[in-house]
Amino acid sequence: MYISDFRYHRPQTLAEAVALLETSRDGVLLAGGTDLLVDLKQGKRFHEDVISLTRIEELHSIELHGDSLVIGAAVTHNQLIHSPLIRQSCFAISEAAATIGTEQIRNTATVGGNLCTAASCADTAPILIALEARVELIGGRGRRTLALANLFVDHRRTALEKCEILSRIIVPVPPAGTGAAFEKFGLRQAANISVASVAVMVRVVDQRCERASFVMGAVAPTPRISGKAAGLVEGRPVSQVSEGSELLERVARAVADDAAPLDDIRGSAAFRREVTATLARRAFEKALSRAVTGVAEGQAGR
Amino acid sequence: MKQIISLQVNGQSFEVAVRPGATLLDVLRDELRLTGTKRGCELGDCGACTVLLDGRAVNSCLTLALEADARQVTTIEGLADGAALHPIQQSFVEAGAIQCGFCTPGMVVRAAALLAEHPEPTAEEIKQALTGNLCRCTGYTKIVEAVRRAAAYMQGKQPEVSELAPQKSGADLCVVGKRLPKPDAPSKATGRATYTDDITLPNMIYGKLLLSRVPHANIKSIDTSKAAALAGVHVVLTGADVPDVTYGTSPARYDETVLAKDKVRYVGDVVAAVAAVDEETCYRALDLIDVEYEELPAVFDAHEAMKDGAPRLFTDKYGNNINTRVDHHFGDIKQGFAEADYVKEATFVGNRVYQNPIEPHCAIAEWDHEGKVTLYTSTQVVHYVHHQLSRVLGVPLGKIRAVMYNTGGGFGAKAATNPLEVVSILLARRAGRPVKMRFNRAEMYLYGRGRHKQYIDLKIGVKRDGTITAVKQQAVLEGGAYSSFGVVTCYYAGSMIPTLYKIPNYKYDGYRVNTNLPPCGAMRGHGCPHPRFAFESLLSMIADDIGIDPIDMRLKNAMEPETRTCNDLVIHSCEFKACLEAVREKSGWDDKRGKLPPGRGIGIGCGGFVSGAGYPIYRSRFPHSNAVIRVEEDGSKAVLFTGEADIGQGSNTVLAQVAAEAMGVTLDRVDVVSADSDTTPLGFGAYSSRVTLMGGNACKMAGDEVKRQVLTVAAELLEVGEDELDAKANEVFVKGDSRRAIPWHEAATTFFSRHGPLVGKGHYSPPRGLGGKYKGAAVGTSPAYSFSAAVCEVEVDMETGKVKVLNFWDAHDCGTAVNPMALEGQVQGAVVMGLSEALLENEVFDEDGRILNADLHNYLLATSMDSPSIDSSIVDSYEPEGPFGAKEVGEGATLPVLGAIANAVADATGARICDLPLTPERVLREIKRDDA
Repeated sequence: MYISDFRYHRPQTLAEAVALLETSRDGVLLAGGTDLLVDLKQGKRFHEDVISLTRIEELHSIELHGDSLVIGAAVTHNQLIHSPLIRQSCFAISEAAATIGTEQIRNTATVGGNLCTAASCADTAPILIALEARVELIGGRGRRTLALANLFVDHRRTALEKCEILSRIIVPVPPAGTGAAFEKFGLRQAANISVASVAVMVRVVDQRCERASFVMGAVAPTPRISGKAAGLVEGRPVSQVSEGSELLERVARAVADDAAPLDDIRGSAAFRREVTATLARRAFEKALSRAVTGVAEGQAGR
Repeated sequence: MKQIISLQVNGQSFEVAVRPGATLLDVLRDELRLTGTKRGCELGDCGACTVLLDGRAVNSCLTLALEADARQVTTIEGLADGAALHPIQQSFVEAGAIQCGFCTPGMVVRAAALLAEHPEPTAEEIKQALTGNLCRCTGYTKIVEAVRRAAAYMQGKQPEVSELAPQKSGADLCVVGKRLPKPDAPSKATGRATYTDDITLPNMIYGKLLLSRVPHANIKSIDTSKAAALAGVHVVLTGADVPDVTYGTSPARYDETVLAKDKVRYVGDVVAAVAAVDEETCYRALDLIDVEYEELPAVFDAHEAMKDGAPRLFTDKYGNNINTRVDHHFGDIKQGFAEADYVKEATFVGNRVYQNPIEPHCAIAEWDHEGKVTLYTSTQVVHYVHHQLSRVLGVPLGKIRAVMYNTGGGFGAKAATNPLEVVSILLARRAGRPVKMRFNRAEMYLYGRGRHKQYIDLKIGVKRDGTITAVKQQAVLEGGAYSSFGVVTCYYAGSMIPTLYKIPNYKYDGYRVNTNLPPCGAMRGHGCPHPRFAFESLLSMIADDIGIDPIDMRLKNAMEPETRTCNDLVIHSCEFKACLEAVREKSGWDDKRGKLPPGRGIGIGCGGFVSGAGYPIYRSRFPHSNAVIRVEEDGSKAVLFTGEADIGQGSNTVLAQVAAEAMGVTLDRVDVVSADSDTTPLGFGAYSSRVTLMGGNACKMAGDEVKRQVLTVAAELLEVGEDELDAKANEVFVKGDSRRAIPWHEAATTFFSRHGPLVGKGHYSPPRGLGGKYKGAAVGTSPAYSFSAAVCEVEVDMETGKVKVLNFWDAHDCGTAVNPMALEGQVQGAVVMGLSEALLENEVFDEDGRILNADLHNYLLATSMDSPSIDSSIVDSYEPEGPFGAKEVGEGATLPVLGAIANAVADATGARICDLPLTPERVLREIKRDDA
């Protein structure tokens, strides 16, 4: 096992990085490298130019800009987990990041890398989509933003153009009365690749679910939004969708119906769908409780 | 094109020229020679390569060296302060948290980062923190204890120490029976211990194997010209260049060639080999070898392979691909079933499991100018490697030196001679330079030799009171492409069943079948875990059906001491009933069984194993274990030379304890030199759980001889009769008057002055004539058998089918435990390995026989978070055939686990799963079936 030689670049600014991409035949961006190095070692891909993002300051910050949380693409999962800003304003992002890999991986792997690798089982994508995140893309022709949901084209394919870099993730800070949660199913007790995951966001106004979003991971080529489930929830009084209610079962089933899972080494399509319903119900219950109480358990601690 | 970077490692600055593709791991190990950081999986899954980068734990295998430029790197070598161990290292040593030691540096480094951030973590937080560091030996329990102990030390506190009551058989002993830290643990804790891949010889080059990409084919031609022409390539070998000798494990089934001669039989079969200046060049050269295959139909399923007309792997033998057939019948099962009041049968299917030691196989060969070759290798069995090399190379044993320094776990994966060991020698001879060869993780799976997948039809008949009247078992073992240990596996699958319960009538039909998949071999519990899983499951099913408590049912039938089984195996010591009673009490069985809330359940499983095979693998009259002890001329130290291999199970410590006890000295007075064919006398090595009993007996005999000589001289010095003296704890004294004494070393040094070298030698052969007269009667024979019982408590998520193992209570009859702390480590490790097999592990292949999960990312091992709370107890027992009453634990401890878990899941859910592993999907399907 070895990595074929390449030209290594370490630009200091995004503009330099974009310029390098433009001049390279097959340049690839290196953030944490936990996906890229595995592919390179296994000979699944080769690149003449590897462009490291580690020294580009602005990609490493987590900031509040007005009503938005702005997360640099090279922020590691452990930074997501421990950032007081994220824990206070969007705890479910920390929650999702904490389910990824191992301490060693979370210290290295980045949120931008997780999104741009675009594996169907990426664990930061569902929650960020549920929270209506947008991503900023920088290319030779300038900046554009895109709803994160539209970044994903297929398993391991994104809407990024050849010389574009995902620079930041912009998450609107949820207004009071919003609850979000992420539930994931893996085969062992830790260090899991998702067999299925569900992120839920629900906004409660006057004891009524005003808005809801259900996003699945690992059960379709890309993160998948269940419009049907959201439709069932929106406009309903909280009492109708609380724990044990018949409607909640329908909602969970609706989410599972919108899944498009495949059979693979981790589980059959039918099993994934089954588990998706359970995760949807659990995530929704958790999100709703957080919306109503305004507290996410574990939020204060670490 | 290399680039210069500045690395700050352990506070020192290094300017290093690195290839852009080099990882931090490569540079630390190969350029800076900091070999404490280990290469385990190379893909970020095992954590053996963990270092701190700016204080944070990262996998150095997934970090480009260029990315570490100008950053602070801390490796295991940077933790200890000079000669003094870091408190974490000290705690790992004291807590018995180190076995093979290969995961230890990564584990210690990760713990250092944790404690820097959280000075007082809870046990749960420690488990959570260590999920990125896989350990295959210890079961994590003692590692978590060690981190807690370290936290206490670092807070200036003394850790809590729990003392357990010693066994009766160890009460009068000074060294045996004591919880002593392993003398080799500090060097493993600091990363100083040398494993084969840590060795670099002057002028050394590297070798790699070309593996078949097709499952079954005739080789039409091989063109190596382009590979040979590549710059940096020294040697290219194909089947035409290697001896025509076949080799393998069982002499009756030597069916492998060093490199494929004319045919490949599975994806991964060894086709050619290259030696070059580095591994990268080897890989490039392998890509340039053109092999023209004539593809043949292949078969991957054992039952398909047995059918008439199925593709044949060997056309000259193994009809219907049946490589071994066992047909055993003891007593009369027809009559036995007729006498039964209740008969139940069921089908069970095992899984294809790979041992996955954290250390990959590695071998280095070096020839001298007198035509002698030295092989450094990561093996469990130096002697068998030595013997096979002698056969294959056609030279006497004296022309080969086989040495093992440290082996990072084996579990059976390193119990046979592997292609690296042979090919490195052939490449080195041709190149005239030392050659290092190693497997990467994927190549380990392809070399294989893991657990056979067994399909078992089991039928048990019982009386109304639960007494077993007859057992009928059929096992079909899917064996992969070659025999390896498989003949023995097929016999073991049947022969051990009657050792645990009294079975008057027994029939066993075994079929070991070749398929076009990686060969299976001997894995911990050799052949027995799947049949034992089936038996323990069916026994509990019957107990439920006839309304008897499953533990009562087992007590009813439990084996008793001094019994000859129906298949002519002789059991001496046996405290199986005491094991059952112990776990019943400790687990609170009577309060829990059938009384836990839905989704919670409790189950029992039992097991036992041989304490060493009664007969050697190839026919020889050599004693199975031998030892020589040479005492320094000043009497300050005894050096024990043993051919046995410490692969992490702790045999160097255990054998030293036995020798020390026999000689009458303390453990610190004994050094061990092991597993080196030039310096240590023959020992068959680490397989069949043989070392404690057999190696121990040899070491005890050698120690006794030393003591006798010391006492002779002491008698002269003290002017008393020799038989009035005894020696203990470095003193020789008059029995009954311990004031009349002289230091042991004084007597020893006087002996040297008067008589020359003070040397003792010992040997051990199992009793002659073990076993019956029928074909295959040798397999299952042993001087002694272990027994164990385990209760498991699980929690099952009824909506997803996911099983969490909460608690394990294990009681073991291992005779006298030579080192109870090391023994607990073996048991805890076996529980977690068994749990991992039962719930997670399975090799998966595509329709062309290509393995889909040859890594640690898709083939899942239990992590620290999967590890339950484990209570391990040792019952009072004494084995007359063992040294100081000792017998085995290493493999036997695996056997109860699978059945205990399946029984607990059935209790929790009402769902009976007969297929391994018990994946959430299978469990959920059965829960739903029961609901419907």
